[in-house]
Amino acid sequence: MKKFWSLIVASMMILSMALTGCSQQPAEEASKDEFKSQIFFKGSSTLAPVVSQIATDFIDANETWNKVNADFPEKSIDLFVSAGGSSAGVKAVIDGTSDFGMVSRNVKDEEKEQIKDYKEFLLGYDVLTISVNPENPIVNIKKNLTTDEVKKIFSGEYKYWDEVAPGLPHNEIVVVTRDIGGGAHQVFQDKVMGDAQVKAESIQEPSMGALATKIMENKDAIGYASSGLVNQNEGRIIPLEVDGIAPVKENILSGAYKISRPLIVIKSGELLPQEQLFVDLMLSEEGMKTVEKMGFVPAK
Amino acid sequence: MKRDKAFELIIKAFTLVSVAILGFIIFFIGAESLPAFRYSGLAGFFTNERWNPIGADPVFSILPMVLATIYVSFLAVAIALPIGVGTAVFLSCIARESARRMLKPFIDLMAGLPSVVFGFMGLMVVVGYFEKHFSMSSGESVLAGGIVLAIMILPYIVSTCDTTMAEIMKSHKKTSDSLGVSKWHMIRYLVLPAAKRSIFAGAVLALARGMGETMAVMMVIGNSPLFPRLLGKCETIPALIALEMGGAPVGSLHYHALFAAGLILIIMRFAVSMAVWQIKKGSDF
Repeated sequence: MKKFWSLIVASMMILSMALTGCSQQPAEEASKDEFKSQIFFKGSSTLAPVVSQIATDFIDANETWNKVNADFPEKSIDLFVSAGGSSAGVKAVIDGTSDFGMVSRNVKDEEKEQIKDYKEFLLGYDVLTISVNPENPIVNIKKNLTTDEVKKIFSGEYKYWDEVAPGLPHNEIVVVTRDIGGGAHQVFQDKVMGDAQVKAESIQEPSMGALATKIMENKDAIGYASSGLVNQNEGRIIPLEVDGIAPVKENILSGAYKISRPLIVIKSGELLPQEQLFVDLMLSEEGMKTVEKMGFVPAK
Repeated sequence: MKRDKAFELIIKAFTLVSVAILGFIIFFIGAESLPAFRYSGLAGFFTNERWNPIGADPVFSILPMVLATIYVSFLAVAIALPIGVGTAVFLSCIARESARRMLKPFIDLMAGLPSVVFGFMGLMVVVGYFEKHFSMSSGESVLAGGIVLAIMILPYIVSTCDTTMAEIMKSHKKTSDSLGVSKWHMIRYLVLPAAKRSIFAGAVLALARGMGETMAVMMVIGNSPLFPRLLGKCETIPALIALEMGGAPVGSLHYHALFAAGLILIIMRFAVSMAVWQIKKGSDF
C-alpha cells in the first residue's frame, strides 16, 4: 500500500511539472469595451529579436498606455514576443491564437486565403551577400560572379580558386555555410542552388557571426554572410556582386539583388488603436533604426 | 515514529521522481526517434549514402557522425592520458604538500572553465596555427578537435588518478622507505601498476565526457558530415544536434532524425559508463 501511495504522489508531481509547460492562450474574446492592454507576437526566430527589442524600448519609455496616448486607460503595456518559426507565426494568425504573426519569408497565396482580411507590414530584408576575405585576389580580378558560378563554387564543381578565374591562386576553395536545415541556408538554396547540393566538405557554422569570422580569418574562404555583418566589418570582409548586381541598399529595396528574404509582420482584420500605434512605431524611423542595428536592411 | 515514516515516504518519493524523470527522458527520446528509424530502417540509418535532412526525400546516415564522435574523443584521450598520468604522479608522489595544495585546485579549476572559452581558444590558436603552418586550406579538423578536447578532459584524468595514487603512496610509503627503495623505483613498480585500474577508469570517464562535449568541439571541427580523417573535417553527434535542432521544424522527419542521433549518443555513452562500472567493481582503491 505504501508503495502505491508513493507512486501516486510521484506521478502527480511529474504530471504537475509536465502541465506547467502548457501555457495559456491569449484571450481573444476580451469584451469589446474593455481595453486590450496585451499584444501577442508569434513567429520567425529571425524577426523575433527585432520586434522584441522595439517592444522593450517602447515599454521602458512608457510603462502604461495612458502615457502614450491620454485617451487610453492607465494599464500596463504588455507586449509578448515568442519565436517558433515563420510557419508557426502564420498558423497562429490563422487560428487566432496570436494578434500578430512574424514571418521571414514570402507568405504563400494559400496561406493568405486562410487569413480573413489579410494585412502585412514590411519591416525589412534579411540579405545574404556572397563574401570573401579581402586578401583574396578575386576582389581585384573578378568582382562579379554569375549565379551559375556561385552554384559551382558551393556545390564543389570548382574545387580550386584558379578554376573560377585565371590568375587566382591554386588554393582549395573553403566554402562556409550555416547549418543546412536553417532559415538562412534555405534562402540560399532557393535563390541560388536550386536542386544542387552544397558540397559535403563545406564548413557548417553554428551562427552568422561565426561564419563571418571564418571568412575574415581564412583567405580562401567564401560564404553567404548577412549584410548586417558585412556592414559592421567593412574592409575585413568583401561582398561580391552576383550577376552584376551589388548587394547595396538600392538594389535590395528594388528587388534587383535576389538573395534576400522579407521580414514581415502579418495580421488578420482591423487593428485596434493601440495595435496601430505599435505598428506605426515599428515602421517609424526609430523602428527602422532598430532593424538596421540588428543586422538587417530596413524597408525604408 | 510517525514523523520518521513521513520522512521516509518523502525521501522515497523524491527518489522515485528522479528515477521517473530519467525513465521519462529515455522513453521520450526513444519514442521521438522511432519515426526516423522507421523511415530509414535501422540499418539504413547507418549505411545510407549521406546526411541530407531537407528536401522532398531526406536521407539520413549517422555512421560518419558516430565514427567522428569516437575518433575525436579517442584521440583526445590518447593525447591527454600520458600528460594526465604524468601530472597525477607528480602531484601525488613528487610534489611537496604545499605545492600540491596550490596546484590541485588550479587543475580542478580547469574543469570548471566554460567550454565555449576552450572552443574560442581552439578556433583562434589551434585552427589558426594549422592554417598558417600546416598549409591546410582550413584548419578545422579531427586533430584540432582532439587537441581542444584533450585539454578539456585533462582535469578528469588527473583528478581520478591523483586520488588513487595519493592513497597508494600513503599506505606504502613507510614500508618502501624502510626498505630503502628509491622514490622513482616505487613509482614505477608499485604506484603505477597499482593504479592501473584507476588510470583506465579515468581514461574511460574522460572518454565519456569527451563524447558529449558539444560547443568547444563544434567550433573547431568544421561540421561537415564526412567520414573522419585526421586532418579532415568531421561532425560529431552533439555538434550535429546542436547545429541543426534550431532549423528542424517540430514533428518533421529531420526533428525525429536528430532525436535518433541523440538516442545513439546515449547508447554509446551508456556503454562507456558500463565499462567504468565494471572496472570500478574490481578496483581495490
